[in-house]
Amino acid sequence: MVYSRKLHGVQAGLTACLAMMLFSQAYAFEAYITNERSGDLVSIDYDGKAVHVQPICNRPRGMVKGLESNQLLIACSDDNKVIRLNIQTQVVEQTFDNMRGAMTLAIHRASHRLFITNEGEAQATVLDLRTGEVLAELPTGLEPDGIAVTADGTRIFVASENAGLVHVFDAATYTQTATIITHLRPRRVALLGDRLWVSSEMGSRVEIFSTDTYAKTDEVIFAPKGFRSEQMTPVDILFDHTGTLAFVALGSANHVAFVNIETLEIEKYILVGRRAWGLGLSPDNQSLIVLNGLSDDFTIIDIESRRPRVTRQAGLIPHAIEVFE
Amino acid sequence: MRALLILCVLAAMSLNAHGAEFHIAIITASDQEQPVRGQSFAGIQTQIDRPVHRAAELALHESSTSFSVFNITPVLRAINLDASANYHSQLKGLHPDSLVIVDTPEDTFIELTHILNQLGLITVNVRHTSPHLRDSLCMETLYHTIPSDRMYFDALVQFLIYSNWRKVLVIHGPSEVDHARAETLNNSLLKFGADVSDVREFTLSHHPDDRDNNKPEFITGGASYDVVAVVDTARDFGRYIQYRTRRARPVVGDVGLVPRGWHRTLERYGAPQLNERYRVFDSQTQLPASEAMSDAEFATWSAIKLITNSLNTIGTGTESLSVKSIMEHPDAQVDLYKGTRGSVRRWNHQLRQPILLTTADAVIAVAPMPKFLHPHHYVDTLGLDEPESVCQLD
Repeated sequence: MVYSRKLHGVQAGLTACLAMMLFSQAYAFEAYITNERSGDLVSIDYDGKAVHVQPICNRPRGMVKGLESNQLLIACSDDNKVIRLNIQTQVVEQTFDNMRGAMTLAIHRASHRLFITNEGEAQATVLDLRTGEVLAELPTGLEPDGIAVTADGTRIFVASENAGLVHVFDAATYTQTATIITHLRPRRVALLGDRLWVSSEMGSRVEIFSTDTYAKTDEVIFAPKGFRSEQMTPVDILFDHTGTLAFVALGSANHVAFVNIETLEIEKYILVGRRAWGLGLSPDNQSLIVLNGLSDDFTIIDIESRRPRVTRQAGLIPHAIEVFE
Repeated sequence: MRALLILCVLAAMSLNAHGAEFHIAIITASDQEQPVRGQSFAGIQTQIDRPVHRAAELALHESSTSFSVFNITPVLRAINLDASANYHSQLKGLHPDSLVIVDTPEDTFIELTHILNQLGLITVNVRHTSPHLRDSLCMETLYHTIPSDRMYFDALVQFLIYSNWRKVLVIHGPSEVDHARAETLNNSLLKFGADVSDVREFTLSHHPDDRDNNKPEFITGGASYDVVAVVDTARDFGRYIQYRTRRARPVVGDVGLVPRGWHRTLERYGAPQLNERYRVFDSQTQLPASEAMSDAEFATWSAIKLITNSLNTIGTGTESLSVKSIMEHPDAQVDLYKGTRGSVRRWNHQLRQPILLTTADAVIAVAPMPKFLHPHHYVDTLGLDEPESVCQLD
């Protein structure tokens, strides 16, 4: 009896082990987190375990995947530069200097251009990643943050936090073609089809504008139970890979919202850490990673069950995340 | 939910040449100012009072992108009142739709609010913190962007309760203002359920006969307390209490942990950018890194930004700007760089805002503290809430 129970135990253990191997193979990812105060880059796995910690630069903030699949571009705000890291070798392969107060990055791979907001300079910079040449400096309102480029690479959107505007630039002539007036403190801009989603941190909402007319078509106002409107301070917006859900980090409300893209209904609020702002999505659309800026940790949410899976310590002030296969 | 809201969107090219003007006036009365130095002497400065003009210019500098988008021209006037001439005649030339920022001593301020009210001009208090003024000067035209003492002390007491420092020894100065502010502190202590272990008045002397009231070790003796709260408006005495209390207890209030509207070391919510801009935006007069806006300057900046930020939130259109209609609008809002937007309490026209609990070189907490909840508005646990306010404007 005892013997057979033991055997069962071993069998069960093996089964669990196999299941875990299959499971982790199916859902595996590696994510990189910039920590703006501790100045390091942490890579984490599916379980949220820190795989590698690398001191990287002073105040690393925005990130974007580079032209090659093993490249990560990182804005080093207090070093006034953007660096290109090879994530396989962990070597910084290239440095783009004189990128004053570089904050948020966007890339257009087909035209190998990088778009950078220069927070302290009231401008955005367009950089040719192949030549390292600065193609344009785009004047904006104060404190530019979010930046996005259309898929066809013809237009650039830059949010000015202080001015409460999104500037629209022609990406060929680099001239401003329109100004979109937003609610208070627009932070991040995200393009989805013919719509531009803008998070208004102090306006406690996400505004949606037509990219054809620039008119406001909709807005999403958040109200998780037990919080007042002015505590909603949304920052990052992310769309899932199926075009069904939008995720919005609600800042001081310590929640992330799941928004139905079609109906704009808020389907779920999930409690995470303090001042949730940066968001990352695993390539298999299964895991949403939320960076909590005031509690120095991150929460991994299982998207299907809509439950937080694990919360672990990041570095000091985690800011941005990029998720690789 | 899916209400179709089509708001003002404009192409930069299509701007009309006939824009609006935004009139701002700053009223001072420099010949009535007494140097604030209490009874300290020999030129020792315990408080720095800068004119508020720099903060106004910063607010206009920050709003320049908005001004060009909305086609607005700001017009800033500074009037330094001549005390020997009639005030009414010195003010009647102001544009009828001005934002009038008043930075004068209290007596003059009270007189001016009545004159400006007769003239129908929107008036902003950026200096006086007395909750009594919020109640007694209950005027449609008057707004307060400087926090009231009740807001400051409510923030401080929330912090004490949150820290479980419930037994408070109150020490205050002998002046009329100190007595009034100690009373306000007492109201805050009562509101949040702190225990007042004693209330004592200090005497500014070194005479041995007065030692029970003039020696920090004595005035903090013979009582049981978690914390010492000091009310010393002139900064005469309070600054000697820290490190000389009979019991090893923290000191808060006008010294030690001080509630403030703004601080140079706030490191979140975009505050470092604002502090940096304040120092360097004017290339002619750059300030060293130790300098930041005083609370009066921050209140001035807030008042102007309340107007320019509200151009976005109210969406009044692009060809007109009415100070009056913006200030009266329920959706008037301002991004205060303190993590929660500011707006106007309709019952007494106080700007609602978070309060920073600060030491000389750190922001220790931002009030409201966790678990202090209000049924309607997150920051309305600070200051005179609607049921407590004598002034009921709306």
